[in-house]
Amino acid sequence: MDITTQLQTALRSHSLPIPSHTWLQTLSSSRTPPPPLASLIATARTRLLASDLTTPSLLDSSYVATHALPANLAQQTSIPESRLGRDVVVQVLDVENLSRSRWEQVEELEAIERGEQTRGRQVIRLPAANENGEEGVGVSVGDAAATQTQAGAATQVARESERQARNATHKLVLQDCKGAKIFGIELVRVERIAIGKLNIGEKVLIRAGTRVARGVLLLEPAQCLVLGGKVEAWHKPWMEERLARLRDAVGADRR
Amino acid sequence: MTRILCVAEKPSIAKAVAGHLSGGQFQTQNTRDTFVKNYLFDFDFGPPWGHSSVTMTSVKGHLTTMDFTAEHQRWDYPPPDRLFDAPLRTFVPDDSKNIAKNIEDQARRATALFIWTDCDREGEHIGSEIRDVAKKSNSRLEVKRARFSNIERAHILTAARRLITLDEKQADAVAARIELDLRIGYAFTRFLTLNLRPMGGPLTDLLISYGSCQFPTLGFVVDRYFRVKNFVPEEFWAIKVMHERDDIKVNFSWARHRLFDRMTVVILYERCISAKTAKVSKVQEKPTKKWKPLPLTTVEFQKMATRFLRLTGQEAMNVAERLYTKGFISYPRTETDRFDKGMNLRALVQKQTQDARWGQFAQNLVDGALRQPRQGRNDDKAHPPIHPVIYAAPTVLDEKEKKVYEFIVRRFLACCSEDAKGVASDVEIEYGDEMFTAHGVIVLERNYLDVYPYENWTGTAMLPKFTLGERFEPTQALITEGKTTAPGYLTEADLISLMDANGIGTDASMADHIEKIQTREYARTVERAGRGVNEGADADADNDNDGAGGARGGRGRGRGRGGRGSRGRRGGRGGGSGRGGVREFVPTSLGVALIEGFDRMHFETSLGKPFLRKEMELQMKAICEGRTTKQMVLRESISKYRHVYDQSCEELNVLKDACRQYILAAQ
Repeated sequence: MDITTQLQTALRSHSLPIPSHTWLQTLSSSRTPPPPLASLIATARTRLLASDLTTPSLLDSSYVATHALPANLAQQTSIPESRLGRDVVVQVLDVENLSRSRWEQVEELEAIERGEQTRGRQVIRLPAANENGEEGVGVSVGDAAATQTQAGAATQVARESERQARNATHKLVLQDCKGAKIFGIELVRVERIAIGKLNIGEKVLIRAGTRVARGVLLLEPAQCLVLGGKVEAWHKPWMEERLARLRDAVGADRR
Repeated sequence: MTRILCVAEKPSIAKAVAGHLSGGQFQTQNTRDTFVKNYLFDFDFGPPWGHSSVTMTSVKGHLTTMDFTAEHQRWDYPPPDRLFDAPLRTFVPDDSKNIAKNIEDQARRATALFIWTDCDREGEHIGSEIRDVAKKSNSRLEVKRARFSNIERAHILTAARRLITLDEKQADAVAARIELDLRIGYAFTRFLTLNLRPMGGPLTDLLISYGSCQFPTLGFVVDRYFRVKNFVPEEFWAIKVMHERDDIKVNFSWARHRLFDRMTVVILYERCISAKTAKVSKVQEKPTKKWKPLPLTTVEFQKMATRFLRLTGQEAMNVAERLYTKGFISYPRTETDRFDKGMNLRALVQKQTQDARWGQFAQNLVDGALRQPRQGRNDDKAHPPIHPVIYAAPTVLDEKEKKVYEFIVRRFLACCSEDAKGVASDVEIEYGDEMFTAHGVIVLERNYLDVYPYENWTGTAMLPKFTLGERFEPTQALITEGKTTAPGYLTEADLISLMDANGIGTDASMADHIEKIQTREYARTVERAGRGVNEGADADADNDNDGAGGARGGRGRGRGRGGRGSRGRRGGRGGGSGRGGVREFVPTSLGVALIEGFDRMHFETSLGKPFLRKEMELQMKAICEGRTTKQMVLRESISKYRHVYDQSCEELNVLKDACRQYILAAQ
């Protein structure tokens, strides 16, 4: 078995997209003598996950043919429900948290911009609403005792944002290896999907059987394997321009 | 017979303590100060002093004052930053000369001096001032301190026989704070005033004072003001499911709460509808409680007073001070939210059984319903939580005292009572892929709520029976839509919470800083628009918007002296509580310009942010705990503020621009 086939087999066993022989050839011949297989696999994996999947001749053509979205899937908005007939590999182009208003996110980013999140520079704000109605029996008295204290306000804020994160619903823009784009929404919470956690350009394997409603992928943890990676050239500007994008989206002018 | 000189912090305490120690048998002598009397009596302090001849007198708060020397009094020269290290002198001001003289005279003939100032940092410092004056006339004077946290007879008698020593560390901490407030306050006040006046317009005649607590306090007001002003409403959508069973309409709320994307909600909603039936995935009934409140701290007291008693924080503190001085309540400045296990709570509750309003409730507690209060996490090791010491009949109190005393008693009885108990039922359904829950509460025992009308817990209708696994077709499933709304401006309770959470001011001085930003015309209060007047006593504790009093008052104090000022004097003149609804804080254009100006200069250490002051407060604490010294703190803090001062000079134009934008352009 030649080296490129060996690499393909190894990558396949990790559910990773399969690169073309040419790409693997270039990779394995770039150093003489060639490094051991294990480190070649690691290099191939890293470079692959950092690449734009739509790059011509990056992926094996038969892999592309079998792991792209069905044609015009995103346009089938009249179909209430269908299922993906095959595994599809996609890369993340955008992530949005639908559970928080854009303005709330703007305020948070501005606070970071002002340096308030730095250690020793935090400004503790009031929790949005004082929810102290009835309290569960299971909670320890010590916890509730904190409400009168400085630490109390901070933990309350932290706890609130934690609760929000657990319940969040995200909408993603995903792109397959042929360049087709589609929305994905979290039908069930997927831990790895979160702003700041999921990178732009990160690769995700959407399993066969995943439901599609009105041209939108319905994501669930069991059928959504986050492979990792990041396309630096997309991720960095996405992060840097996030505040401006959010402001634009709500139509706010900077004061 | 041994001669003992006792000195209290204010005349009323001297009189009360003299009354207890003498059993009411004392002679009164006038002094050259109209308000300060000397009370003469005999008392046995126990060994080593034994039966002694006692003179009990008082000061009126701080005895000495600190100021720059004459050559630094002029504003035009030397430049303000010289005040960071200019020489200071401490002296007895004219209005305290007679008091100091009295102490000197009395000390000359005494063997020992017993300090009866309030037991907190400020009191420790006043104690050290008294000692220094007394030692001038009698260097061999032995100095002791009485530790007490209320003016109840037995407590005072015990304190008199268990004297301790003055805590120099606490006195040092206060001395450091006074010096820092003076140097920093003067330097920045002159800097601001001298630089901004020439800009003309409304700035021409202004004294623009700076205080290291005032500015961050104002910063919170400005921050919220802009959050309100800049707010952009957004649309959101949600799915609402209602099912009617046994004539009860059960509303289920969506686990996702709401989403800011219509398409997503429509897709998820469609999946609910096409599923046709919902399946009950969880049915749970379990006991639940609403916790009784924690023992009362000063900060909590002020928040509650602004919400429910229609008083400003400052009025509330003044009233509490009077109640303490009269012996009705314990010391009102405390951070402690746990009662010492050894305290005889039953005896304190017993004293309340005679009241027509809560006597029966108290009697019930005495008869066996008494429970140990919840233990908070804070203990200042000096004072217990605020609680009633003896019973005060309504006839001996004025209107405000009545409200405050009633609140303190009710809070205390609530603490000694039991949590409210109920049973909660939760039903969870799966509808399509979506989860919805319905929640019902039946209140079974109100317990503490019966005596504590400042909180409420209303049950909901009982949920009808649902069985695990059953399927039903919901009566109604709808997409609802709504819009986010801007937060309100800060209420005084909000402001106190923010100051507390960010370490601005001490629990005792917060109200003064809030007052200060108003008298300086950096902020003012307005009545919250478009909301009705809530009757404080019936309002739900969950609601932030109830019954804050009118925030006026206008009790001017010396320049940026910080801390306590005219504590002990009657305050809250010239205002009275507003009769309207909730009052909210909005900055004036001057307030906005100052905070924006500093924020735009250098955000790392903006004077409008709480960090610098918080650090200073932590340093004070460190001095008290012996982890650092006054000298070190002075050096460090001054160098930090000097750095900010230098930066402010360099970027003065940024501040001027803000003034042009917010003040001059608005002309």
